[in-house]
Amino acid sequence: EAQATTAPSGGPTVITKSFCHQCPARCGIDVYTTDGRVHAVFGSLDNPLSMGKLCPKGHYGQYLLYNADRFKGPMKRTNPKKGRTEDPKFVPISWDEALDTVAKRMNDLREKNESHRFGLIYGRGWGATDVGVLQTLSSLYGSPNIGLGHSSMCSDGSEETKKILDGNHGYNAYDYANTNYMLVFGAGFLESFRPFNGNMQAWGVMRTKPAKTKVTFVDVHLNTGAAASDRALLIKPGTDGAMALAIAHVLLTEGLWDKPFVGNFADGINHFKSGETVAAVFTDEDIQKRAQAKEKAAADKAAADKAAAEKAAAEKAKTEAAHEKLLKEQVLAKGNPVAEKAIAEKIAKFEKEQAKKALSEETDRKQREALDKEKKPESEIKAGQPLFEEKWVLGLPQWWNAVLKDCTPEWAEKITTIPAKIIHDVAREFGTTHPAIAIFERGAHAHTNGTYSGMAIHSLNALVGSMFAEGGMAYQMKSPAGKWPVNLDDFMDDYAKSPERKKPRIDMKGTDKWPMVSNMLQEVAKNHNEAKPYKLDSVMFYMTGPIFSGPDCTAWEKMLNEVFVINTSPFPDETSVYSDLILPDHTYLERLQVADTYPFQGYPISMIRTPAVKPLYDTRVFGDMLIDLGKRIKGSTGEYYKKLGNTENIIKAMATVFAEKPGDNGVNSYETWKEKGVWFQKPYLWRQIRGEFYEWDKAAKSYSKRMTQEAVKEKLLKTPSGKFEFKSGYLEEEHHVHYLMEKFGLPAEMVGFPQYLPANHAGGGDLHFVSPKLAMQAEGRSGNLPHVTASIQPTQGGKKTVYLEIHPETAAKRGIKDGDRVRIKSSVGAIEVYARLYNGIRPDTVALPMIHGHWGMGRWTKNSGVSGSTNEVTPNVSDAISGQCCYHSAKVFVEKV
Amino acid sequence: MAKWGMVIDLEKCVGCQACTVACGMENNRLPGENWQDVIFFSEGTYPSAQLKWFPRPCQHCENPSCMAVCPTHATYKTEDGVVLVDWDKCIGCKYCMVACPYGVRFYTDEKPLVAPDMRKVYASKDDHSWNPPWKMPDAREDWKHGVGIQPHDVVSKCTFCYHRISKAPPGTPDLDPQDPKLREFTPACVVTCAPGARFFGDLSNPESNVSRIIGDKRGVRLLDQLGNKPQVYYVTGDGGAVPSSRAINKKV
Repeated sequence: EAQATTAPSGGPTVITKSFCHQCPARCGIDVYTTDGRVHAVFGSLDNPLSMGKLCPKGHYGQYLLYNADRFKGPMKRTNPKKGRTEDPKFVPISWDEALDTVAKRMNDLREKNESHRFGLIYGRGWGATDVGVLQTLSSLYGSPNIGLGHSSMCSDGSEETKKILDGNHGYNAYDYANTNYMLVFGAGFLESFRPFNGNMQAWGVMRTKPAKTKVTFVDVHLNTGAAASDRALLIKPGTDGAMALAIAHVLLTEGLWDKPFVGNFADGINHFKSGETVAAVFTDEDIQKRAQAKEKAAADKAAADKAAAEKAAAEKAKTEAAHEKLLKEQVLAKGNPVAEKAIAEKIAKFEKEQAKKALSEETDRKQREALDKEKKPESEIKAGQPLFEEKWVLGLPQWWNAVLKDCTPEWAEKITTIPAKIIHDVAREFGTTHPAIAIFERGAHAHTNGTYSGMAIHSLNALVGSMFAEGGMAYQMKSPAGKWPVNLDDFMDDYAKSPERKKPRIDMKGTDKWPMVSNMLQEVAKNHNEAKPYKLDSVMFYMTGPIFSGPDCTAWEKMLNEVFVINTSPFPDETSVYSDLILPDHTYLERLQVADTYPFQGYPISMIRTPAVKPLYDTRVFGDMLIDLGKRIKGSTGEYYKKLGNTENIIKAMATVFAEKPGDNGVNSYETWKEKGVWFQKPYLWRQIRGEFYEWDKAAKSYSKRMTQEAVKEKLLKTPSGKFEFKSGYLEEEHHVHYLMEKFGLPAEMVGFPQYLPANHAGGGDLHFVSPKLAMQAEGRSGNLPHVTASIQPTQGGKKTVYLEIHPETAAKRGIKDGDRVRIKSSVGAIEVYARLYNGIRPDTVALPMIHGHWGMGRWTKNSGVSGSTNEVTPNVSDAISGQCCYHSAKVFVEKV
Repeated sequence: MAKWGMVIDLEKCVGCQACTVACGMENNRLPGENWQDVIFFSEGTYPSAQLKWFPRPCQHCENPSCMAVCPTHATYKTEDGVVLVDWDKCIGCKYCMVACPYGVRFYTDEKPLVAPDMRKVYASKDDHSWNPPWKMPDAREDWKHGVGIQPHDVVSKCTFCYHRISKAPPGTPDLDPQDPKLREFTPACVVTCAPGARFFGDLSNPESNVSRIIGDKRGVRLLDQLGNKPQVYYVTGDGGAVPSSRAINKKV
């Protein structure tokens, strides 16, 4: 059994700089090693993302490193039969034999003109030293299927939405610390939304700063984020878009949009009236009406002035009469000292009062004059002039007319079940508390209507002027990197350059089937099994296990039965049960590896992880494994990788750029980078202030260089119009329009607008089924970490297992009691699990975290109490635009076992 | 001499359990044997149900009931205010576990929460109850202060990371983990707390940050009516309360 190799004690403690691998956020970490063993991981104090802190996952590094179930070296399968319960009967082999075996398959395929049948599927990529290398292999070797990413099974719906509206295909960077209102749609802000560590640090600031950031949290069950917020709204699954549209409706009808960013009606009057369309331009009739109204106003004013003058004259006469009366009394009182004194006092008082009154009137008059002077001259309105003058947005009146005018809170209540009054309240708060941001993630967009819903939500950020504003949101800048030491183009042989290489990818990305997606990993097994477009011969896996994590995942078992499977995981998993070769990677504390940051605060950050200990076993870092594989490919491909050498050469070449672009922490070379673990350069370079865009002026240390419209288009709002497009030019491109008309049954003129379309719920059941991710759920490997299992689902007391959250009434109707064993069934499969009665979940929804149910991951996953992956009951359904896998759109039956 | 104490701001705490995990890593806890636990509970009815949580380390009482009942004086209070167990003296009778009103003590040889038992997978060949490969440096082990991989048949508990705080320069008012000079002396749970909900310092110093927070933000103690006088204080923000005296104040 696994044993600690303890050297003699008393050695010094060494801190190695690295970055975390437990989620995509990439927090800088300090790895503590004493006497040759890693015993602690803390956040790096001088890393701008971790700031010395970590989320719970960050502390798991050493448990993974020393996990007793790790693969100890390369192995090959000796049992030709494959199946869930078939023992692969792995035997150890050398790295040479392992890589030669793969290279032979690759060379043979190339000889047969079938290199496209070699696939490499990856999940979490860390940048140049792994994704970078596999991209070179794809080009040189000649397979479009080397580098099939998992992003459609991650959160492509989010990136695609942003591309459609503001032209940035990416996740947002957020300025949480300065925001005053946060509206969260289906993003597990305090459980799984990245960067979790950064989110929590921001939360501490937001919730205790002088103007406490108010948070409204929209989800389908009460999780920690919802519970910690000011308002938790449990919405019907798949209807978030409707709520966002109703909020937009209120923002417009109540005039709460941000005029400097969005623009305004030319006449300064709000023409957005519920249920009524807004005209595109002013007509002659409008001009006439306006003139008439002006005339009437002038007449009214003249009449009012006249009445006022008459009233003033009467007042004056009255005052004069009173004064005269007093003067007469004075004459009469002459000779009587007492009366004389009394009357003199009376007169003085009267005159004083009159003077005071006169002064007050004079002041009023002067102030009125001053105000009149500052009054902007009323805009000249001409017939044919657009009613609404748009500043940084495109298509607002059109969007109103086509969609928003009828999206009242009352309309949304019927769809979302959220009371109209509350939607109204949220909209008013959102529109009046600046800066405000609306964020969304998979909970909202992992539905068939996900992109349109996401568009409705993201549009709110434009309406309140939060794009690129302080306390708003921006995009992540890329880090600079030196050129690779070897030029790929010099090594492309005729085979690689041949037009024959232009085969469709097996996932059909970019074809008529999926014209707009980035990846379509969930289609691979299905397509392979149907031999459409073809069948793969060999597949290599890196950091992903769709056989467990893909929707309708059992389709992968069929595929992996037929192909030659190469797994690079350092640990056993379901893929390895079906693998023919195991080429184990290092765990992250043993690796040299680099990565850019995941979107954080916009300014560029580059991380490096250096090995804290020598590799415990005969493993090899994935990037080097690929290079060593490439060296074995015949012809110039092999030459390229021989010249490239190893990943360290790439990193060294990349780091050369830091000499001319030193980081804020003084990093200017490979050596200093390794020492600090991070390079970064603050600040983010651009900001929108009251409707104008400015670039950072280094000398003045302020956002003071005004940007031209062209610069904004090039750098920030990268849409065809250079504006935030409520009417999306990208969706309205000709080749997209027909696709969208067919997929969503929309008329051509509607495809470009954010709108609500009912989601399709596959599965055939009567309860919505969601499979959220939890705070303790580390990247992929946590199912086999007892320390994770022990605290995995705190909200339900899940310490040995995870429970299915079910509402007490829903449970009672099915005869289910707390703790009962239940079966979750859909059209694609069934799993068994224990139930937990919970008042914090909608009665029409059940939730089961996607973590347990492993059948090939190691000794600690065997007693999890969950019989299979949540994906055995989740049908394979995707959003037609983004390709986002609809993990939360299934409907299932739940019954007592 | 300092009187070490902790303040936990419940308005900032997000229930992430990083404190639990960091403590487990630092002190080689078995899965589920959480010296620093976060207790979750829910109540109410849909759609206005509540979900709440409460981080609960050892309260390091001024007047610890666990100490009073210990027949071998294994449980004791240090001069700087920390309640510890001397594993050389502990006989594992568990009286202290019964006496503690906060449920923060753990017996070494309980049934494992997660099977197979890690103590068998990472078995020890000597007096230690197990031998995890990631265990703390041997030189740090200190059974007199309940620090290290514990032996069989003893009771263990949160030490306020005594192996860290006891090395702090004398007279330090607060152990602020954001200060590079003090970071290594700060308890692991405080170091890692991302929303910054935890503060650690000298309660006997009226000018320490912890003392000021307790004063300014009306710090309260858990089950104060019992008279144990915990040295862990909670501040609750607007409308919050510790479980013993909480009032429902939910905005819709």
